[in-house]
Amino acid sequence: MTVQVTSGPAVLRGGEHLLADITATIGRVMGSVTEVGAAMTALAAAARAGRRPLRRADLAALRPLVAQVLARHRGFAAGAGLVLAPDALADAPRCIDWWWADRGSGPGQLEVDLDPASAEFYDYTTTEWYNEPARTGQPCVAGPYVDYICTHEYTFTVSVPMVDGGRFVGVAGADILAGEVERMLLPRLSLLGRDGRPAVLVSGNGRVIASSTARILPGTVLRSPGTTTAAGRLPWMLISEPEPAAWRRQAKARAAMRRPDSCAPFTGGSLAAHQRISTRKL
Amino acid sequence: MPPPALTTVRARTLFTPLDTGGRADTVTRRLANAIRLGLLLDGERLPAESQLAGQLGVSTVTLREALATLRTMGLVETRRGRGGGSFVRAPDDADRLERPLRLLSLHELRDIGDHRAAIAGTAARLAAERALVSDVRTLRGHAERLRGATALTDRRRADARLHIEIAATAQSPRLTRAEMDLWSEIGDLVWLPMEGRDVTAAARDHDLLIGAIEARAPERAREIAERHVAAETDRLLDLRLSLHGR
Repeated sequence: MTVQVTSGPAVLRGGEHLLADITATIGRVMGSVTEVGAAMTALAAAARAGRRPLRRADLAALRPLVAQVLARHRGFAAGAGLVLAPDALADAPRCIDWWWADRGSGPGQLEVDLDPASAEFYDYTTTEWYNEPARTGQPCVAGPYVDYICTHEYTFTVSVPMVDGGRFVGVAGADILAGEVERMLLPRLSLLGRDGRPAVLVSGNGRVIASSTARILPGTVLRSPGTTTAAGRLPWMLISEPEPAAWRRQAKARAAMRRPDSCAPFTGGSLAAHQRISTRKL
Repeated sequence: MPPPALTTVRARTLFTPLDTGGRADTVTRRLANAIRLGLLLDGERLPAESQLAGQLGVSTVTLREALATLRTMGLVETRRGRGGGSFVRAPDDADRLERPLRLLSLHELRDIGDHRAAIAGTAARLAAERALVSDVRTLRGHAERLRGATALTDRRRADARLHIEIAATAQSPRLTRAEMDLWSEIGDLVWLPMEGRDVTAAARDHDLLIGAIEARAPERAREIAERHVAAETDRLLDLRLSLHGR
């Protein structure tokens, strides 16, 4: 994950620290998820070396690791597990082995309809958290999005690709509630934003993650040139605006234009007019 | 005969078992669809369990599980003794229509329509404000799935899924849950077979709605969603009135 700090000099130092901290926090979950992915890859490699088919029952060996992800990040990771590429297993065309965090009686297993002929077929291969790692071979932080399958909340999903002998076999991942991320960010984001200069954290596709002003709400979209940034490496951008009125003017102008894919810059200038301060790798 | 159990999208999505149960569920669905579509006729005797299990390629345990579910759905009846076995109980369309509809008064139906319009209208408006290009792609995928669905139950579920996805595109877990609850409550009514639902009109509404969301036209999206719900509510009110006195 790449995080960019895009801001004026006035908010530079605090912004960097805030992004470093949230990047590290999400990075720790990503680290735990990577362990699960590595164990799955090792399992696949061992099966390949032994000329054994990989079966769904084999995944049971990884459940302690998944439980460990949930235990280690209790209160932050709401769900975790493995999602296999179609035909990665010999005895299941598609497979989700996903668990949600303890609700009193131990982790619960997510159960979804994976029959492509069914009207309720859950096609995970079209989700951002599956598709991006599959396409790019890079870890991904998908969202925020309304997860009505597992958490039923506003959610991020971190996922890492699993590759065995050059073949993509699926992703390991974890769900993080957007509310938890906001709780961490908001106190300092509010300090960064000042009168007439709100601080806004947006995801790579322009979705607002957190903001220091009620005029720019989480879940709304700031259409910017940044939306074209390469996927797979998810850039979160911290933006500070000197003129909140300009945002509203732009929103009005956009509404007036109503062009499907118009990408208005954040302010009068383009994103390049902002000073790019730093880039972090997760 | 009791009306068929309302299965919520959420319950089905969340609680469909993955392992042996997944097969039982597939068998249940296949047999239930065959009965509803009239491929298996009312009163028809199903083959012996071992034979039917063999034909379907599942174990007798799995088949028994499926038959138990079909019994609770009222689609199969098992009689013991000589001449016994499992028999098809095809739902009577009129019966399926009338029972749930007779239970609702006109003002209740109108109120459900008002509630649906509030949720679907707001969800559509906010989706148009907040949708990304990828969200629009997802919505089109669901609309396509609905177009391809032929069985009534599949259509109902695909329709519910599309509207739930629009609420998710609005970035609101609460609106999404509200759509899920509403569809579990009224989904069967919306897709009642009698008089036939105008499938083409519904598909046209969905295309217009997704078009408005893509064009980032919030008010137009809200208007289309409200009109869509109003048309469905009117149809149910007409059907309810036609039952009056019968």
